[in-house]
Amino acid sequence: MKYLDIAMNTAKSLGADYADIRIQKSTNQVIYLQNLSLKNTSTDVSKGYGIRVFKDGAWGFAHSNKFTDDQVVATVKRALEIAKLSAKVKKGGGLTLAPERSYISTYSTPIKVDPFTLPLKEKVDLMMEVNRTMMNYEGIVQTVFYLVMQKDEKLFASTLGTRLDVTTQFINPMIMATAVLDGDSQSRTFDEGGRAVGWEWITSLDLLEKAKQIAEEAIIKVKAETLKEEARRSLILDPGHLGLTMHESVGHPTELDRVLGWEADYAGISFATPEKLGNYKYGSDIVNFVGDNTLSEGLATAGFDDDGVPNQKWHIIKDGVLQEYGTTRDTAMQIGLNHSRGCSRATKYYNQPINRIPNLYLLPGTKELTPAQLISETDDGVYIQGRGSFSIDQHRVNFQFGGDFFWEIKNGKLHRPLKKVLYKSCNPEFWNSCDAICDERFWQPFGVVNCGKGQPNQTGRMTHGAAPARFAQIRVGGSQ
Amino acid sequence: MKTNFEVIAAFIKKHVTADDYSLRITARDSHETRFAQNAITQHIAGDNIDVDLEVAFANKTGRCSINQIDEAALLAMIKTAEEMAIINQSDPEYVESAKTQEYPKAQNAMDSTLNLAPEQMVDIISKSIQNGEKHGATVSGMTEKHHMEIFNNTKNGFQGNYDLTEFGHSMTLKKDNVETKVSFSSKDFAAFKLDKELSKLNGQFDSLTNPQPFSAEKIPVIIRPDALWEFYMYTMWMMNRRQADEGLTAFTDQFGKKFLGEKFSMLSTLKIPELISTPYSYDNVVSEETYWVRDGVVETMPTPRYWAKLKNLKPASPFNVYIPGGNATEEEMMKLVPRGLIVNRFWYIRPVDMKAGELTGMTRDGVLYFEDGKVKHAVNNLRFNEIPHDTTRRILALGESVLADSSVKLPSILVDNFNFVDTTTF
Repeated sequence: MKYLDIAMNTAKSLGADYADIRIQKSTNQVIYLQNLSLKNTSTDVSKGYGIRVFKDGAWGFAHSNKFTDDQVVATVKRALEIAKLSAKVKKGGGLTLAPERSYISTYSTPIKVDPFTLPLKEKVDLMMEVNRTMMNYEGIVQTVFYLVMQKDEKLFASTLGTRLDVTTQFINPMIMATAVLDGDSQSRTFDEGGRAVGWEWITSLDLLEKAKQIAEEAIIKVKAETLKEEARRSLILDPGHLGLTMHESVGHPTELDRVLGWEADYAGISFATPEKLGNYKYGSDIVNFVGDNTLSEGLATAGFDDDGVPNQKWHIIKDGVLQEYGTTRDTAMQIGLNHSRGCSRATKYYNQPINRIPNLYLLPGTKELTPAQLISETDDGVYIQGRGSFSIDQHRVNFQFGGDFFWEIKNGKLHRPLKKVLYKSCNPEFWNSCDAICDERFWQPFGVVNCGKGQPNQTGRMTHGAAPARFAQIRVGGSQ
Repeated sequence: MKTNFEVIAAFIKKHVTADDYSLRITARDSHETRFAQNAITQHIAGDNIDVDLEVAFANKTGRCSINQIDEAALLAMIKTAEEMAIINQSDPEYVESAKTQEYPKAQNAMDSTLNLAPEQMVDIISKSIQNGEKHGATVSGMTEKHHMEIFNNTKNGFQGNYDLTEFGHSMTLKKDNVETKVSFSSKDFAAFKLDKELSKLNGQFDSLTNPQPFSAEKIPVIIRPDALWEFYMYTMWMMNRRQADEGLTAFTDQFGKKFLGEKFSMLSTLKIPELISTPYSYDNVVSEETYWVRDGVVETMPTPRYWAKLKNLKPASPFNVYIPGGNATEEEMMKLVPRGLIVNRFWYIRPVDMKAGELTGMTRDGVLYFEDGKVKHAVNNLRFNEIPHDTTRRILALGESVLADSSVKLPSILVDNFNFVDTTTF
């Protein structure tokens, strides 16, 4: 596209130290069904470009939705002027960018059935049937089916000579049933998060069976008892729960921009500071976390990040020890790293890229272990499925999490269902208490599509994953 | 930024074939400068437009939004929305678009904010950093200005437009284990006084040195305005009339009853000029003076248009929040109880039990311990599990209401027996 050349030639002629342009079209389709009422059936299309100019150790970023030669030139000039303004308020010589070579490449999320080309009726008919199935259960007063599909088409060029053509997309179904009984209301949700796949995933899920299970479990949950006293117990967490736990307690603390304090005013900082690299016992010996933006069906898998850095796979925690961060070209050099791990991503064309969590997952256990065995080897504990309330401090140390469905475990058996369970723990206690992880047969991904971060706020996406795992001696109790 | 909304609206009117439609156009021009660790790290400028069209054939709906306004793009938007509606299933809860209505006029856009230059914003940041350096500390924050123009039009004759401005400046000052924050947000840049903000920031910072360990317990707490808004914003969300009528929240069967504490009132108002008061809601519900809670009685609940029609109620939508305060100073509040805590801000508040209305969250940016009417020292951060509407019954005193956000004005309050359940490690 000619605008790539116009922008880069203008930036070079004006003396930019570095510049890039990202032309991005984002198409988002939402179908929101509450009971049998279609609250929202919408398609949103945004199209424009963001231009970054790096000058004298500082960034300027300008964006526009007007596609003319003159407007592209004006936007480059505006970004340069802003960079010059930024350079008036810098530390020392300002920022430096990690070295990177040029690439000419394309990437497209592999999908079999594009949900955007599927007739709307086919999607809505399925959703209606799912909600009808749940509403047929006595005691279910509200049902929700929320379906999101998104496609991002990007053309990227930089003054390094890079030219990229990247198309990514994902789909995210969420089903919820809410039961009301005896003055209480409880919800049960099916939500594996988003996945970078097509409609073929939806048809493989057997959502009508899931709907029955969700409705039945919502009714079980509203009738369930609560834990009266907080006590130290074992926790068994399923992949749908662990996805969010690792996101909050490992993913965010190992974003290098947070470590550097760049998020201090809003999202917060990190306890996992650089002097801990290579020696900090973040978890037990069986805890291994991998950053992997090459992960098949991963939400952060895009071939390249928005710095034009190729996707990579690396250990963030190995044998329980903190190894490395998720980095970008402008954060990596701040701690003397000479290369970026490719974690720079923006949500829309008008967002300046920021340091993001990569696809990040817990490696499965190396010994054969099934969830049934794990439960049978637990005397006193709680098994948590799915995600619920979650809250963590701004240093990413102390947290309290709930869940979506709970079973008390007594003497190696699922004893009774519970509701309103909360557990409290902190880093590094929590991951060091991990004493068993099921094997790779039980590893499942969990996709986050709404990770809020940054000022102005952006919603990022990335995939996590785990096999069911056990944590010993965690404080587990109930809400008030 | 002067967008010809009428031209777009006329084009839509001419080409839409659906039985009904609602159009909303939002144009936005922003300049956002982010700084951290005493340097600017992000710096963004640009404008955008969003044209959002919902159409209906009988009660089958479709919606499309775009950010391009050439005729081809607008035609494609109409086609997409109409095709979705035609093949969609019927919505039993569809409500026809809003009819012609009078809406209040309010001045929400201020020249002082419109005329603010990027150079002035960078100068504010420079001075903020110089102040931090005097403390040997780092400063991080965000300086931003926005101008938005909103236009609404429906097939049934509703037409409205307004614009608004916002200026914001936040600063987090951090040195070793001490960190604290102030933030200013208003439609009017002329109301911003950097010296006043720096003085407040420095005062908070100086009070937080030498923190002592403190265990979680139920204890009286003075909740400062920024923290109070973070805590009570969930109350408005949980008061939704439909959710309550369906038995999903703590407000079930509480309409018209004294469910909250008698010292507590909450309203949306057109009478306080410093507050942004949008003349109508996203759903074209016209703004009018509304007490949500008056002296503890649930007087009005946010009511969506469909639920209002079904239950023969009046639709209602919050357009700003005002919690009337009292005249107690912080010093006077400290003398009302033997001991307690002062909270600057809360952080990461999430529901833990929707039916009970229970929330969890933590303190942030400074907690002070007081005894015998005087601040003794700072303490570590704490986690709470609390029910906001329940805390209103434990209000012992209210301070003067102040602007906490461009559309929020509320006081400090002294609450008895606030339920802290855990400590944090810093």
